[in-house]
Amino acid sequence: MGELEDNGAARAVSRPLDDLRVIEIGYGVAAPVCCRNLAEFGADVIKVESVRRPDSLRTVGAGWMPPDAPWEVRRDTGTSINGFTCPQKRSVGLELEGEGGRDAFLRLVERSDVVIMNMSVDAVEELGIGAADLQAINPRLVFMNMASFGALPGPYRSYRTWGGNLAALSGVTELVGWPDRDPVGMPISFPDYVSALWGATAVIAAILRRDATGVGCDIDLAQYQVAVGCLGPTVTEAHLGGPTPHATGNRAPGRAPQGVYTTRDPDRWVGISATDDRAWDALVGVDGLEHLAADPRFASPDDRLTHHDELDRALEQWTSTRTDWEATAELQHAGVAAAPVMDHWDVLADHQLAARRFFRVSPSTRFGGELTYGQAAHLPDAPRVADRAGPAFGEHTREVLLEVGFSASEIDALVAVEVAHEMPHPELHLERPFLHWIPRVMRLPWPESSIDPARIVFDRLAGRDWSSADDDTPHEAGT
Amino acid sequence: MTGSEAPGLLAGTRVVDLAGEALTYAGRMFADLGADVILVEPTSGTEARHVPPLVTMTDGVAVSAHFAFMAAGKRSLALDTAVPAGRAILDRLVQVVDIVLVPGDLDERRNRGLDPATVRALSDRVIVTSVTAFGSDGPRRHWRGSDMIGWATSGAMYGIGDPDRPPVAPGGGLADAAAALNAAMGSMLALRARQRNGGTGQVVDISQQEAVLSVSMEAGPLLTMEGQPQQRAGRRRMAAHGVFPVQDGMVEIVAFLPTQWDAMAEWLHDELGIEEVMMDEFRGGSASRFLYSDLIEGWVLELCSRYTKQDFFHEAQRRRVPCGSINSAADLLTDPHLDAVGAWVDVAHPEVASVRLPRAPVRIDGVAAPVGAVPGIGEHTDTVLREVLGATDREIAARRADGTIA
Repeated sequence: MGELEDNGAARAVSRPLDDLRVIEIGYGVAAPVCCRNLAEFGADVIKVESVRRPDSLRTVGAGWMPPDAPWEVRRDTGTSINGFTCPQKRSVGLELEGEGGRDAFLRLVERSDVVIMNMSVDAVEELGIGAADLQAINPRLVFMNMASFGALPGPYRSYRTWGGNLAALSGVTELVGWPDRDPVGMPISFPDYVSALWGATAVIAAILRRDATGVGCDIDLAQYQVAVGCLGPTVTEAHLGGPTPHATGNRAPGRAPQGVYTTRDPDRWVGISATDDRAWDALVGVDGLEHLAADPRFASPDDRLTHHDELDRALEQWTSTRTDWEATAELQHAGVAAAPVMDHWDVLADHQLAARRFFRVSPSTRFGGELTYGQAAHLPDAPRVADRAGPAFGEHTREVLLEVGFSASEIDALVAVEVAHEMPHPELHLERPFLHWIPRVMRLPWPESSIDPARIVFDRLAGRDWSSADDDTPHEAGT
Repeated sequence: MTGSEAPGLLAGTRVVDLAGEALTYAGRMFADLGADVILVEPTSGTEARHVPPLVTMTDGVAVSAHFAFMAAGKRSLALDTAVPAGRAILDRLVQVVDIVLVPGDLDERRNRGLDPATVRALSDRVIVTSVTAFGSDGPRRHWRGSDMIGWATSGAMYGIGDPDRPPVAPGGGLADAAAALNAAMGSMLALRARQRNGGTGQVVDISQQEAVLSVSMEAGPLLTMEGQPQQRAGRRRMAAHGVFPVQDGMVEIVAFLPTQWDAMAEWLHDELGIEEVMMDEFRGGSASRFLYSDLIEGWVLELCSRYTKQDFFHEAQRRRVPCGSINSAADLLTDPHLDAVGAWVDVAHPEVASVRLPRAPVRIDGVAAPVGAVPGIGEHTDTVLREVLGATDREIAARRADGTIA
């Protein structure tokens, strides 16, 4: 059921990781997105999930769900879980505490290649699932924990992070905003995503070495240090004694012009970067901007930096009589980097993303189909797999435990004592409010094999104890 | 924490780095993982040696902090690829290495014959990794971009900034970092694909637009589809969630999940004596507090006004409220945690005595990757030609004499 991304030409397609089984104990973004990257290139990723210690994104659920909707259903509805943190994975509901659960987990690990988690070092130790514990039963195992501050002792080691505060600590927040105001920061868990990518790179490198030597390894990734490394040039500037860098709005350090300019339409902007001589020559070749070429204030790169304010006003005079796309087309035609500041609707309907098949509708058990994000890495001979959206909680518990050698009665026993959990109400199909217009706006086909969506009926769930699960997650090191 | 001599995960892997600004961080990552990364630059030195941020030293030399960080641990081969003898050396190199990072600038590619298809045609085994603004296919494949244009086209930037100002892109080259990280992962995938399908390489094609989408998904279109309008909410995005001023700076607080709020409420109650903050109406997910944002914000601001940023950060963490002081790059250099875990390494640099760089963020079997020096122009020309291409001393002398290498 794989996707063939070729343009009609026959081409051998490989799944570079399809001989690997990966066990994930992931929370939020970092470990889940890391594992999703491996899954979309072929790995069999098994997300081991707990009711007592749920993935924090399971506790959020879809915004349109009634607040009193039962957690057992709500946890399957989050767009993040389904659309970008867990597509292509299988979910096994299993408690790690208690002998039965830990033994079952170890049996899974025995038959796996990689274990990836983002847990606090203390919780890993408490549960006895560290690299040494797991490699004792499987020496070929590649193990990675992605704790926020790593495993080494240091003053922050037990501190909590949730995207935003790690961005603050690592220097990212300081660089978002305007020079005349306090930093504004961004509503994105940036450190988590870059950690997911660094982690996936390291894990595949470790698998390559294992292919040659037969030996696994223990990877200790510190999300804090990943984020600091992404600002490598900035911290190096500070060390060399340069002025402490602060937010500069949309300007580029040491180069001009760059900015975001108003257009004919309200709340629509065009971004322009013309920060080298070639781009400047192209810019002043554009109809209506020729006068800038002869202006002595803008003669050299240093002049343009010195007179950036005046240059911004001159450019804005030109952009403000055009739409964002008109300005973009004229500038790109001349060879200048420019683009509208796209909002989410622009992105959803974007022709470039559509041509590269970035967004897809992938089959989902609860929803029939789900919008899933693409991979930025395009490998023509090893394209991303997109045949399954994120799983419902415990959707594959029985299937996976049978595969690793459990008998049906053993599984029944684990389920009976609530150590293993199966997907409740597999017959219950939900419908997203935006279900009907996805294909229309995005020109995407609905999956042929999908079930007919039907409206959720809460009455069917009456008579059960829906008391919310405890979403206290003291083990969680970072999102 | 000193680096041992244990071979890295990528020992034996060879990389040619011809990349421009956006992609070169992938080369740095490969070097951190133990690969032999050969920076191929013109005999007069690469323009990357002058990429901002630049710091003017006491002797008047302007040192590129960008280059210092990105080139550490790479070997420099100074080679004039514009002359046939030099191009022949590059072509031989491409045939024996595993990965080639090509320039992102479309003019440079055309002028130097370095577009991915041309390089890929030199060897069936080679993996060619490319970052461009919009990727190598689709209607905008020939459009130009920049770090900021990456943010602008991702949809994320529209929601970053103040309500009374235009959207603002994060600084620090983070869109470039996102592209390089995807390129690094993609190159690893291509290596494994090559190993499993008979030794054939491929082009790894990264679009910067998609790379920024890949690091901002939670702020992405899915939320808009759920009916949450996209807006620039400024510093304080929800009650007790966002950027707050303290006595000597700013902190970022995240009291978003129910347990995070409970911890925050208890702190407000204990310290300010506010009984109402414990009300059930405020409990639960962030939606519960939405209507009361102004009220709660006032309490949080009052609490903040009693603290310095370091004291607030540590007290918050003691109380299990996710919080961070807002650090500048200069603050990081004295951060006690980074110091305690050995996050910095001093390496030699051709123009300054030494430069302090952040280490790789991973330790393999307890060992942090060693980081090599920042190479001078052509510092490794002879050794690379000898080791990698088996060139003789005579051949090297001849090419140096005719100016092909330096």
